[in-house]
Amino acid sequence: MIVGTRKSLEEIQAMLRGHSRILLAGCDTCVAECASGGRRETAELTAALDMAFRLAGQSVELKETCVDRQCIHEFLIDVVAEAQAVDAVLSLACGAGVQALAARLPKTPVFPALNTTFLGETAERGFWSENCRGCGDCLLGVTGGICPISRCAKRLLNGPCGGATAGKCEINLAFPYDPPVPCAWEQIYERMTNLGLVERLFEVEPAKDWAKAGCSGPRRILRPDQRP
Amino acid sequence: MKVVVLACGNAVPDSEDFQAHLKQGGMQAQVIAQPCSSKVETYHLLRILASGVDLVWVIGCAENACRLTEGSSRMGKRVQHAQEYLSEIGLENERIGMSRLVPGDAAALSAILADIQTRARALRPSPLAR
Repeated sequence: MIVGTRKSLEEIQAMLRGHSRILLAGCDTCVAECASGGRRETAELTAALDMAFRLAGQSVELKETCVDRQCIHEFLIDVVAEAQAVDAVLSLACGAGVQALAARLPKTPVFPALNTTFLGETAERGFWSENCRGCGDCLLGVTGGICPISRCAKRLLNGPCGGATAGKCEINLAFPYDPPVPCAWEQIYERMTNLGLVERLFEVEPAKDWAKAGCSGPRRILRPDQRP
Repeated sequence: MKVVVLACGNAVPDSEDFQAHLKQGGMQAQVIAQPCSSKVETYHLLRILASGVDLVWVIGCAENACRLTEGSSRMGKRVQHAQEYLSEIGLENERIGMSRLVPGDAAALSAILADIQTRARALRPSPLAR
């Protein structure tokens, strides 16, 4: 899932300056799971902005809506219709959703309410952690399902750096992460041992082809079988 | 002063009676019964305050007495989250209050009534009153 966090009200109000009829559009997929942009959070933000604008002496009309998934163009038909009656849209979707909506509203500014942050999982209730960098060349098959690209601070491919203490990454020395960040390679070693596959870790993983990781322009996938 | 109380039906079995007692203190009061205090969402609290109400209060069961195990605990976290919004907005955190009691403790319920009245009198009228 894509994880994001809400921008401050101050930043959001600054983005929306000059607009008096605003539609807040949430997304009920990834950002609902991370409690930042779903139906509930859209209702929260609408009420909060209503109060903030009124306290600032600004007369702003706010409407709210939510779609199941904002990055799917076919799902945006109703939102696009509702947006005809406003002069700006505040999207609580991830960056992909904001852009999909913006593409369908060429004459209406669409502003992001969230900072889209990472691909991750709900590790525990109320705690989301990054576990995928979208590197385009997945090696989870050789690391027991634990990604060293996203979960090792140094993105090492062939074992630990030696800087871990009690199973925790040395970056915890620089910043008091709570919960502390585990050493991904100790986790990989333990997992592969439990799987009876630890010998595979002695096979050297070659240098990564970072060209697949999005370092040279937007990546794209074309599937002729899925095209109209 | 306008006060809205969202009260778990187990913690406050007679919401109409509680409402009547609040009104005796000279307030405009509304008590809305809830099946559990965990039914109260953060956006409920914010919408109520946005409507111009001066004080919103949630009453739930003591955490170890909640019939839904975690309900009262979750309510507490939502109240705190709503108060964080108030800090960003520039409204007093005290406009959202919360109490928990063991169901059936009449003395505790009376004390909560007094707390609500005290808080309401201490607050200035909401700048959002329409």
